[in-house]
Amino acid sequence: MDTPPRPAFDPELKAGLAVVGGMFPPTITPDLIGFMRTSYASPPVEGTLRDRRITRVDREVPGHRGDPVTISVLTPHGTSGRRPGVLFVHSGGLVFGDRFSGIDLVLDWVQHLGAVLVTVEYRRAPEHPEPFPREDVYAALEWTASHAGQLGIATDRLLVCGASSGGGLAAGLALAARDRGGPALCGQVLDYPMLDDRGTTPSTHQFDGVGVWDRVSNETGWTALLGEARGGPDVSPYAAPARATDLAGLPPAFIDVGSAEVFRDEAIDYATGLWRAGSSAELHVWSGAFHACDVFAPHTAVARQMIRARDAWVERVLAD
Amino acid sequence: MQELLGRITRLDPQASLALRVIACFDELTVGNVNTRGLLAAAASLAGCVAGFGQQRPARTVRVTPRGELAEPLTTPAGSPPAAATAVPAAAGTCVWLERTGPAEANDAIVLERLALAVRLRHDRRPGTPDARRHLAVLVDGTLPDDHRRTAAAALGLSATASHRVVVAPLFAVWTEHPGGPEDVVPTAHGPLHTLVVPAVTTQVQAGPCGVGVATTPDHLDHSFRTAVVALRLCARGATSSVGADAYAGLVSMFAEEPPGAHHPDVELVAAITAHPWGAETLDALVTSGSARQAARTLGIHHSTLQGRLETTTATLGFDPLDGFGRVRVGVAYLAWRLRTSRVLDLPAPTTGH
Repeated sequence: MDTPPRPAFDPELKAGLAVVGGMFPPTITPDLIGFMRTSYASPPVEGTLRDRRITRVDREVPGHRGDPVTISVLTPHGTSGRRPGVLFVHSGGLVFGDRFSGIDLVLDWVQHLGAVLVTVEYRRAPEHPEPFPREDVYAALEWTASHAGQLGIATDRLLVCGASSGGGLAAGLALAARDRGGPALCGQVLDYPMLDDRGTTPSTHQFDGVGVWDRVSNETGWTALLGEARGGPDVSPYAAPARATDLAGLPPAFIDVGSAEVFRDEAIDYATGLWRAGSSAELHVWSGAFHACDVFAPHTAVARQMIRARDAWVERVLAD
Repeated sequence: MQELLGRITRLDPQASLALRVIACFDELTVGNVNTRGLLAAAASLAGCVAGFGQQRPARTVRVTPRGELAEPLTTPAGSPPAAATAVPAAAGTCVWLERTGPAEANDAIVLERLALAVRLRHDRRPGTPDARRHLAVLVDGTLPDDHRRTAAAALGLSATASHRVVVAPLFAVWTEHPGGPEDVVPTAHGPLHTLVVPAVTTQVQAGPCGVGVATTPDHLDHSFRTAVVALRLCARGATSSVGADAYAGLVSMFAEEPPGAHHPDVELVAAITAHPWGAETLDALVTSGSARQAARTLGIHHSTLQGRLETTTATLGFDPLDGFGRVRVGVAYLAWRLRTSRVLDLPAPTTGH
């Protein structure tokens, strides 16, 4: 019954949880997946895109096994020539969310850095378990790279970015692209990534019933993807990148995570693994931050710092 | 966060957004968040710029919904823009929302709680009487007696008159609000709305809430702890309040035990509550004089109760209606209710979709 001690939430963020808890409960059991698909569905983006002067084109591209998968290509108005490209992998614990969930912060890169953004409607678990989500994302990368000329993307400046489950998929994508000799990536932005299906780190057990995305929620997501295989010996590192034994030769990584969330330890461990293998990584651990606080409470001092640090890194990697 | 409030309403049109706004500002106050942070929360909740004006020295702070400082105004420092309606906060200060277009549903509650939070932050200057701190001191049993006596005197409580402490979560619904000192006090169970009322007030028209035992001001820290236990005994969703007097010494025992105290019979009670009939039957047994009366309370046949009683006795390993068995099962049942209490959780999101 006893919960281990845990770092406190930042007071501004703790206040934000009084609101966030109304649409995103801390503990998500399988029977709440339907509720989350409603509550976490992205609001209409048309107004935002118009205000930001961004053009949207939806395409159907071949996903895993050649099945059609929808992507959106978001391009800043009035640009020409070769632009930096970003492949965005949305959040939602592998079971909910859509290609516009949490996209606001990434739209800043389209608006301010002139990037072309590709976001993919990968198929979600449990209806589409492993390897559907990750292979849909991989297919979107291949399509983006092979259509770079048409999209106006400079192939030497293509970045992958994902948050939470999208961060895990982005890390897996970088591993797969390396191993399969796929398209080159100039960076991987892994925001509080969901990397480890085993659920054995201390931070996994520190936040039962509080904040956003606790141990039980994490089990719900991973079980939906992997079923019986979760935590066993046969999980692919492309699905759960914490399983990877070779982290050499990967694109530079930007990793950020809160000190007060279940993914803290796996994010730190992944950065450590990258450094030990000779890969580049920048790691930020934000004190008192809960999972995805930059999306839910971007007005707070901690979230603003978090966003600023990430934007600065992306600008270094992507800007003209 | 305005967008999140909209999502909550779409999920459950009956959901109380006001209580979430109140809980949000109370956490900001308890967390000592500064003026800019308070304005950022207000702006984020309202979806428009929130402002703070101070007369001496003249100063204006305006914050956008993204928490950034807004471009300076052309109006004199300390004054709101012409279109905004300012409300007073601390002495010589005011706050406002810069809504273009008609007011929105939550504007009033956001502005009210922003003003209160700014007042609490700015009135806490050295040498200024600080009712907030006094109440937190009064109910903190870890402090020396003379600190608590000073706090009681500052709150205007007579050293000989008897009082009770009343506690409620910040989202409690009050049909009648008693007078007397009140404040938000941080506890291990989150911030609690805390009031001191005369001893004759044994019922408070608020739900959920807990009413502590009556004591002189020297022991109001104990009354506070019994009030917290009483609150945690409220059933979730119930609108009634629980008075510690109903359990007197038993609640005092729970109030004074260290966190995580061991109750060996609780696991046995938990096993009984795993039956669909478990919790209500235990409740009837511990509140009735006999098995027959318990059956009447439950509206079931005596033989049905006998069957449940046999299962209960076998699980417990003692007869819950005989001798110390009555006391043991009573204590264990209350301990189980405290351990599984959800009354302090914010109302959960609806799952009906």
